Amino acid sequence: MSREYDTIIIGGGIIGNGIAYHLSEVQSDGILVLDKNYPLSGTSGSTQAWIWIHSKSPSWYAEFSLYSAELYGYLQRKIGDIEFDRAGGISPFFTETEREQAFKLAECQAEVGIEIQVLNREDALAREPALSPKILGAMYSPADGNVNPMRLVEQYMRASKKNGVTFEYYNPVTGIEKQQGSFIVTTAKTVFRCKKLILSAGIWTRELGKLLGIDVPVKPVRGQIIITEPLAPLMKHTLSIMRQTSNGEVLVGNSQENAGIDRRSTLDVMIETANMAVKYVPDLAKAKVVRGFSGLRVMPEDEFPIFGVVPGIENLYVAALHSGITLSPLIGTLMTELITGGETSVPIDRFSITRFA
Amino acid sequence: MDKSTIVCRCEEITVGDVENAIAQGAETFDDVKRLTRGGMGLCQGKTCRTVISELIAQLKGESVAAVPVPRLRMPLRPIPMEILAANQSGTSAMFDLLDQASRKERQEK
Ligand SMILES: Cc1cc2nc3c(=O)[nH]c(=O)nc-3n(C[C@H](O)[C@H](O)[C@H](O)COP(=O)(O)OP(=O)(O)OC[C@H]3O[C@@H](n4cnc5c(N)ncnc54)[C@H](O)[C@@H]3O)c2cc1C
Repeated sequence: MSREYDTIIIGGGIIGNGIAYHLSEVQSDGILVLDKNYPLSGTSGSTQAWIWIHSKSPSWYAEFSLYSAELYGYLQRKIGDIEFDRAGGISPFFTETEREQAFKLAECQAEVGIEIQVLNREDALAREPALSPKILGAMYSPADGNVNPMRLVEQYMRASKKNGVTFEYYNPVTGIEKQQGSFIVTTAKTVFRCKKLILSAGIWTRELGKLLGIDVPVKPVRGQIIITEPLAPLMKHTLSIMRQTSNGEVLVGNSQENAGIDRRSTLDVMIETANMAVKYVPDLAKAKVVRGFSGLRVMPEDEFPIFGVVPGIENLYVAALHSGITLSPLIGTLMTELITGGETSVPIDRFSITRFA
Repeated sequence: MDKSTIVCRCEEITVGDVENAIAQGAETFDDVKRLTRGGMGLCQGKTCRTVISELIAQLKGESVAAVPVPRLRMPLRPIPMEILAANQSGTSAMFDLLDQASRKERQEK
């Protein structure tokens, strides 16, 4: 006997949960979220979790990211405390070339309504005294912030359950078929049947797509982070390589490696990261590093989000993207509009999977 | 054990917190860690690893051996940033956000 749902979402990370929650606000039952592990075991449990806008490029992408950031305050009021902090973002620079780049970027972003101030050294240090006096200046934008990704996923799940969503953990999807207008989703434990299917399994979305004969061009790009012991409040803003969480730890890291599905930390990158940390914020020299971790970015071939309907297979949807923390509430909102047959409130044509065809 | 008994001293996580996490579907030490922060503190789980794993086993009616062992994280003992930073690394995996933004803006044109 197969169990029936209207909509099945495969993948319970920040993206799958964001979609489940937003969808559950308008469709109260018949939604199932499946995860092969527990929801934070994928990329969403190993991320910096900045809500990052000001140095997103091109500016249409920054503008898209801004819409999502604007939704966060409202989201927090609805689902409960997610430690959302619109701290403002700062990108320090050390060279004249970078200063020129900063002015150009500020000009482009202003056209889409994102405010960036290019600060000189004194103003930057006044704003963020923890920064190194060796910086030449910094970009500052009030648009950026950060959130606690663990709380976000947990609160999404709680709110979704309240709205009637069912979750199945430790239940990997092993097969998908389309038969007479329904999807037959085979998992390790059960066979499910549904009308609408959403693939939002992070880097594993590619594998799932193959089961239906579609290619979702995402690859894992490893990022390594180091974390300090909890420190007294040191920095106020989200910096372009680090942030301090509300319980005092500092997370540092901005590495990118093509390492396949390999989530080990490596000493060389940890060393580089530590060098970067003290270069930006000298006071961190004395801080103790308690842990290194790494995560696998969900990186689409052209680096921009892939989401929306999958043409050719009716009622199939996909959502696989980098910067999922920044974009989660917006993706959840837009996917809900799509799934419920409405028009999206923001044009999404450029994010269609058809661009890779 | 009492619900208010502390199992993770660094983060002050109680038996009740762990029970809640398990009620939400957590099955491993790492699941519980991500939900509660238990094991994320200064000692990195050296004190609470066994206790939390035993709690999971108990609540699920399994043997402790059936609970997957947690991932250990480098460095195994806290180490000052400056000691790490005193070294030079052979690779360069770092990227610069500003540089990346400029590259993308150029691509767009
Ligand atoms: C180091 C690092 C730093 C980052 N920093 C930021 C940042 O500052 N800001 C930002 O916005 N973004 C950041 N990101 C990106 C962001 O974390 C990701 O875009 C986001 O977490 C992706 O979420 P997801 O739900 O798509 O994937 P995941 O969280 O990986 O979720 C996918 C889920 O699918 C499940 N799954 C897979 N296969 C199956 C199957 N066959 N059956 C059932 N379930 C399955 C997995 O178990 C997993 O839980 C960062 C990423 C990294 C690695």
